[in-house]
Amino acid sequence: MNLMHEVSIIQSVIDIVTKQALENNLTKINNLSLRIGELSGVMPESLEFAFDSCIKGTMLEESTLNIEIVSALGECKDCNLEFPIEHFNKLCPSCNKFCTNIIRGYELNINTIEGD
Amino acid sequence: MSEIKVVANILHTNEEITSQNKRLLNEKGIYVINLMSSPGSGKTSLLEKIITKLKDKIRIAVIEGDLYTTKDAERIEAQGVPVVQINTGGACHLDGKMIKGALDSLNLDNVDLLVIENVGNLVCPAAFELGEDIKITVLSTTEGNDKPLKYPRMFENSGAIILNKMDLLELTNFDKAEFYKDINSLNALATIFETSCVRDQDQGIDVLCTWLRQQIQFMKHES
Ligand SMILES: Nc1nc2c(ncn2[C@@H]2O[C@H](COP(=O)(O)OP(=O)(O)O)[C@@H](O)[C@H]2O)c(=O)[nH]1
Ligand SMILES: [Mg+2]
Ligand SMILES: [Zn+2]
Ligand SMILES: [Zn+2]
Repeated sequence: MNLMHEVSIIQSVIDIVTKQALENNLTKINNLSLRIGELSGVMPESLEFAFDSCIKGTMLEESTLNIEIVSALGECKDCNLEFPIEHFNKLCPSCNKFCTNIIRGYELNINTIEGD
Repeated sequence: MSEIKVVANILHTNEEITSQNKRLLNEKGIYVINLMSSPGSGKTSLLEKIITKLKDKIRIAVIEGDLYTTKDAERIEAQGVPVVQINTGGACHLDGKMIKGALDSLNLDNVDLLVIENVGNLVCPAAFELGEDIKITVLSTTEGNDKPLKYPRMFENSGAIILNKMDLLELTNFDKAEFYKDINSLNALATIFETSCVRDQDQGIDVLCTWLRQQIQFMKHES
């Protein structure tokens, strides 16, 4: 498996978290929670693996990572129904139209950090 | 211990750098293409064809970020246009920072069209804006017509889609009707081209080049 992608994502996470921590006078991060969309192209297991190897020597070294998976949601442009979508099946359950309006599932967000 | 609600987009830094790049490229009046596909679909071959056809009419520069064939930059250089190779070091996508580095080593005052050949990968390049005016995705007939539905994001976000290796169509089970149907359902506004880059018998390159020149003209008129 190619972990490069997840490593680059985690490096951005570490940069943002470190900056936020400094602004909030924290010196050590204990917990970090991320919200990752199902369609973001990021594998949670790889993200965890990349996290463990990238946090060494950073403020996050002893922190635990929490990943909340955001399931994909589409909104039908015809009948306004919101419905869960899968990669291979994006048909509106009500009118059977193909849904191109994805309103949730591409998230790559940092949610909260906890630290001292 | 204190909890801080951050709620930040992880790609925020990329987006910031990218908007700086975009501002610079806009100021210089450069039309920018982010060219994407799987490895081997024909990005570099198409670029060679386009450069051959257009280099006397417009000033072209290339940022080469495809690590699959290390010869790519040399192939473009042989055409006599400026090319910057990004050393991706095994990375799976290009980001704003890499583009910024590449822009620093180009003379942007002498460029009308900048093509960024992205890393051969149908997944993650779709999530990274590079400051382009248009994303163009190449699919080749040998890859199968199921790819747009399998990797929808790249096809959804592309202003144009090039179906390449048309010369091999008959040898594959590529279903063109299905392909058009799927693209239409994912991205009805995309302009679709059919090309072949076979030496001396290329197809569809003229149509593609005419359209490209139009896009560049439209942009110059708007600004
Ligand atoms: N038959 C055929 N081969 C092609 C065509 N376009 C590219 N190729 C070949 O496909 C291979 C990969 O092409 P390349 O341009 O390097 O793909 P890239 O990885 O997307 O840049 C090369 O051997 C090309 O000669 C085409 O239209 N028809
Ligand atoms: Mg190439
Ligand atoms: Zn990637
Ligand atoms: Zn509906």
